[in-house]
Amino acid sequence: MHHSTKKWLVVKFSSIILIPLMFWFVVNLVSIYDESYIEIVNFFSTTSSKALYSLFLIAAFSFFSLTISEVFEDYIKNEKTKNVATKMLYVFAIIIPLITISSILSLN
Amino acid sequence: MYEKNPLSPHLQIYRWHLSMILSIAHRIIGVVNSIAIVLICLWTISLLFGEENYEIIKILFQSLFGKILVISLSWSFSFHILSEIRHLIWDLGYGFDLKISKITGIITIVGSLALTVLIYLLGKNLI
Repeated sequence: MHHSTKKWLVVKFSSIILIPLMFWFVVNLVSIYDESYIEIVNFFSTTSSKALYSLFLIAAFSFFSLTISEVFEDYIKNEKTKNVATKMLYVFAIIIPLITISSILSLN
Repeated sequence: MYEKNPLSPHLQIYRWHLSMILSIAHRIIGVVNSIAIVLICLWTISLLFGEENYEIIKILFQSLFGKILVISLSWSFSFHILSEIRHLIWDLGYGFDLKISKITGIITIVGSLALTVLIYLLGKNLI
Protein backbone atom coordinates (compact mmCIF):
# COMPACT_ATOMS: atom_id res chain seq x y z
CA MET A 1 0.00 0.00 0.00
CA HIS A 2 1.25 3.47 -0.92
CA HIS A 3 2.36 5.71 1.98
CA SER A 4 -0.21 8.40 1.07
CA THR A 5 -3.07 5.85 0.93
CA LYS A 6 -2.06 4.54 4.36
CA LYS A 7 -1.97 8.11 5.72
CA TRP A 8 -5.40 8.88 4.23
CA LEU A 9 -6.88 5.72 5.75
CA VAL A 10 -5.49 6.57 9.21
CA VAL A 11 -6.93 10.12 8.93
CA LYS A 12 -10.37 8.76 7.95
CA PHE A 13 -10.33 5.97 10.57
CA SER A 14 -9.29 8.38 13.35
CA SER A 15 -11.95 10.90 12.28
CA ILE A 16 -14.69 8.22 12.48
CA ILE A 17 -13.54 7.35 16.03
CA LEU A 18 -13.04 11.02 16.94
CA ILE A 19 -16.57 12.26 16.06
CA PRO A 20 -18.50 10.48 18.89
CA LEU A 21 -15.60 10.91 21.34
CA MET A 22 -15.41 14.65 20.62
CA PHE A 23 -19.16 14.92 21.27
CA TRP A 24 -18.83 12.93 24.52
CA PHE A 25 -15.91 15.06 25.68
CA VAL A 26 -17.38 18.48 24.90
CA VAL A 27 -20.72 17.63 26.63
CA ASN A 28 -18.77 16.57 29.73
CA LEU A 29 -16.47 19.59 29.49
CA VAL A 30 -19.52 21.90 29.59
CA SER A 31 -20.77 19.87 32.54
CA ILE A 32 -17.61 20.08 34.69
CA TYR A 33 -15.44 23.03 33.61
CA ASP A 34 -16.75 25.46 36.28
CA GLU A 35 -17.07 22.83 39.02
CA SER A 36 -14.81 22.45 42.07
CA TYR A 37 -11.42 20.72 41.93
CA ILE A 38 -12.87 17.67 43.73
CA GLU A 39 -15.74 17.33 41.23
CA ILE A 40 -13.35 17.48 38.26
CA VAL A 41 -10.95 14.96 39.82
CA ASN A 42 -13.93 12.69 40.60
CA PHE A 43 -14.99 12.86 36.95
CA PHE A 44 -11.54 11.94 35.62
CA SER A 45 -11.09 9.24 38.28
CA THR A 46 -13.81 6.91 36.98
CA THR A 47 -12.67 4.02 34.80
CA SER A 48 -15.03 4.95 31.95
CA SER A 49 -13.79 8.58 31.88
CA LYS A 50 -10.15 7.44 31.96
CA ALA A 51 -10.74 5.02 29.07
CA LEU A 52 -12.84 7.38 26.92
CA TYR A 53 -10.61 10.42 27.55
CA SER A 54 -7.48 8.39 26.68
CA LEU A 55 -9.13 7.15 23.47
CA PHE A 56 -10.24 10.71 22.67
CA LEU A 57 -6.67 12.00 23.05
CA ILE A 58 -5.15 9.20 20.96
CA ALA A 59 -7.72 9.72 18.16
CA ALA A 60 -7.48 13.52 18.35
CA PHE A 61 -3.68 13.68 18.24
CA SER A 62 -3.49 11.07 15.44
CA PHE A 63 -6.06 12.99 13.40
CA PHE A 64 -4.74 16.49 14.03
CA SER A 65 -1.06 15.62 13.56
CA LEU A 66 -1.77 14.05 10.16
CA THR A 67 -4.11 16.82 9.01
CA ILE A 68 -1.76 19.59 10.17
CA SER A 69 1.08 17.84 8.32
CA GLU A 70 -1.12 18.25 5.21
CA VAL A 71 -1.32 21.98 5.94
CA PHE A 72 2.51 22.03 6.16
CA GLU A 73 2.61 20.13 2.86
CA ASP A 74 0.45 22.81 1.23
CA TYR A 75 2.01 25.95 2.66
CA ILE A 76 5.68 25.28 3.49
CA LYS A 77 7.71 25.42 0.30
CA ASN A 78 11.17 24.71 1.72
CA GLU A 79 11.62 20.91 1.94
CA LYS A 80 14.03 21.03 4.90
CA THR A 81 11.75 23.31 6.97
CA LYS A 82 8.74 21.16 6.06
CA ASN A 83 10.47 17.93 7.17
CA VAL A 84 11.65 19.43 10.47
CA ALA A 85 8.20 20.93 11.19
CA THR A 86 6.45 17.62 10.40
CA LYS A 87 8.85 15.58 12.56
CA MET A 88 8.46 18.02 15.45
CA LEU A 89 4.69 17.83 15.06
CA TYR A 90 4.75 14.00 15.25
CA VAL A 91 7.01 13.99 18.33
CA PHE A 92 4.73 16.57 19.98
CA ALA A 93 1.65 14.49 19.07
CA ILE A 94 3.15 11.48 20.90
CA ILE A 95 4.57 13.22 23.98
CA ILE A 96 1.59 15.46 24.94
CA PRO A 97 -1.10 12.71 25.02
CA LEU A 98 1.34 10.29 26.67
CA ILE A 99 1.99 12.71 29.57
CA THR A 100 -1.72 13.59 29.83
CA ILE A 101 -2.89 9.96 29.84
CA SER A 102 -0.24 9.06 32.46
CA SER A 103 -1.42 11.93 34.68
CA ILE A 104 -5.09 10.93 34.29
CA LEU A 105 -4.27 7.32 35.14
CA SER A 106 -2.52 8.45 38.33
CA LEU A 107 -5.62 10.36 39.55
CA ASN A 108 -7.64 8.59 42.25
CA MET B 1 10.20 21.90 -11.48
CA TYR B 2 8.88 20.72 -8.06
CA GLU B 3 9.97 23.97 -6.41
CA LYS B 4 7.91 25.93 -8.94
CA ASN B 5 4.67 24.08 -8.15
CA PRO B 6 2.02 26.50 -6.88
CA LEU B 7 0.88 26.06 -3.27
CA SER B 8 -2.80 25.25 -2.77
CA PRO B 9 -5.54 26.41 -2.34
CA HIS B 10 -4.81 29.52 -4.49
CA LEU B 11 -6.86 31.90 -2.33
CA GLN B 12 -6.05 34.93 -4.46
CA ILE B 13 -7.05 33.33 -7.78
CA TYR B 14 -10.56 31.84 -7.45
CA ARG B 15 -13.82 33.67 -6.77
CA TRP B 16 -14.98 32.97 -3.21
CA HIS B 17 -17.95 30.57 -2.77
CA LEU B 18 -19.52 28.68 0.15
CA SER B 19 -17.63 25.38 -0.29
CA MET B 20 -14.33 27.25 -0.52
CA ILE B 21 -15.09 29.28 2.63
CA LEU B 22 -16.08 26.09 4.48
CA SER B 23 -12.96 24.27 3.29
CA ILE B 24 -10.72 27.07 4.59
CA ALA B 25 -12.80 27.35 7.79
CA HIS B 26 -12.43 23.56 8.27
CA ARG B 27 -8.66 23.89 8.14
CA ILE B 28 -8.44 26.98 10.37
CA ILE B 29 -10.87 25.54 12.94
CA GLY B 30 -8.97 22.23 12.80
CA VAL B 31 -5.77 24.06 13.78
CA VAL B 32 -7.65 26.04 16.48
CA ASN B 33 -9.14 22.82 17.87
CA SER B 34 -5.76 21.11 17.96
CA ILE B 35 -4.36 24.05 19.97
CA ALA B 36 -7.46 23.84 22.21
CA ILE B 37 -6.86 20.12 22.80
CA VAL B 38 -3.25 20.85 23.83
CA LEU B 39 -4.60 23.45 26.32
CA ILE B 40 -7.17 20.89 27.56
CA CYS B 41 -4.25 18.48 28.14
CA LEU B 42 -2.46 21.15 30.17
CA TRP B 43 -5.69 21.73 32.15
CA THR B 44 -5.88 17.99 32.90
CA ILE B 45 -2.20 17.82 33.88
CA SER B 46 -2.73 20.83 36.19
CA LEU B 47 -5.01 18.64 38.34
CA LEU B 48 -1.89 16.82 39.55
CA PHE B 49 -0.67 19.99 41.29
CA GLY B 50 -3.44 19.89 43.86
CA GLU B 51 -6.53 21.87 44.90
CA GLU B 52 -4.70 25.04 46.04
CA ASN B 53 -2.84 25.47 42.76
CA TYR B 54 -6.06 24.82 40.81
CA GLU B 55 -7.75 27.92 42.30
CA ILE B 56 -6.49 30.27 39.54
CA ILE B 57 -7.89 28.00 36.79
CA LYS B 58 -11.17 27.65 38.70
CA ILE B 59 -11.53 31.46 38.95
CA LEU B 60 -10.80 31.75 35.22
CA PHE B 61 -13.39 29.10 34.29
CA GLN B 62 -16.04 30.60 36.58
CA SER B 63 -15.64 34.06 35.01
CA LEU B 64 -17.53 35.37 31.95
CA PHE B 65 -14.37 34.80 29.91
CA GLY B 66 -14.38 31.13 30.94
CA LYS B 67 -18.00 30.72 29.85
CA ILE B 68 -17.35 32.41 26.49
CA LEU B 69 -14.24 30.24 26.05
CA VAL B 70 -16.14 26.99 26.65
CA ILE B 71 -19.12 28.02 24.46
CA SER B 72 -16.69 29.02 21.66
CA LEU B 73 -14.94 25.68 22.04
CA SER B 74 -18.31 23.89 21.88
CA TRP B 75 -19.04 25.69 18.60
CA SER B 76 -15.62 24.99 17.08
CA PHE B 77 -15.89 21.28 18.03
CA SER B 78 -19.49 21.20 16.68
CA PHE B 79 -18.43 22.79 13.41
CA HIS B 80 -15.55 20.35 13.07
CA ILE B 81 -17.78 17.33 13.81
CA LEU B 82 -20.35 18.33 11.14
CA SER B 83 -17.76 19.42 8.61
CA GLU B 84 -15.90 16.12 9.09
CA ILE B 85 -19.16 14.16 8.56
CA ARG B 86 -19.60 16.17 5.31
CA HIS B 87 -16.09 15.17 4.24
CA LEU B 88 -16.77 11.50 5.11
CA ILE B 89 -19.95 11.59 2.96
CA TRP B 90 -17.84 12.99 0.09
CA ASP B 91 -15.32 10.16 0.66
CA LEU B 92 -18.17 7.68 0.14
CA GLY B 93 -18.81 9.31 -3.22
CA TYR B 94 -21.96 11.29 -2.38
CA GLY B 95 -22.83 15.01 -2.27
CA PHE B 96 -20.59 16.34 -5.04
CA ASP B 97 -23.46 17.95 -6.95
CA LEU B 98 -23.09 21.75 -6.64
CA LYS B 99 -26.60 22.23 -5.28
CA ILE B 100 -26.21 19.38 -2.73
CA SER B 101 -22.77 20.69 -1.76
CA LYS B 102 -24.29 24.13 -1.07
CA ILE B 103 -27.12 22.60 1.00
CA THR B 104 -24.72 20.46 3.09
CA GLY B 105 -22.57 23.56 3.56
CA ILE B 106 -25.51 25.52 4.95
CA ILE B 107 -26.46 22.52 7.14
CA THR B 108 -22.88 22.52 8.50
CA ILE B 109 -23.06 26.21 9.47
CA VAL B 110 -26.61 26.25 10.89
CA GLY B 111 -26.20 22.75 12.38
CA SER B 112 -23.00 23.76 14.21
CA LEU B 113 -24.93 26.52 15.99
CA ALA B 114 -27.80 24.15 16.83
CA LEU B 115 -25.33 21.47 18.02
CA THR B 116 -23.60 24.04 20.26
CA VAL B 117 -26.95 24.82 21.94
CA LEU B 118 -27.68 21.06 22.28
CA ILE B 119 -24.22 20.40 23.79
CA TYR B 120 -24.67 23.25 26.27
CA LEU B 121 -28.15 22.07 27.30
CA LEU B 122 -26.97 18.46 27.65
CA GLY B 123 -23.85 19.51 29.57
CA LYS B 124 -25.83 21.63 31.98
CA ASN B 125 -28.51 18.90 32.39
CA LEU B 126 -31.19 21.25 31.08
CA ILE B 127 -32.71 18.58 28.82
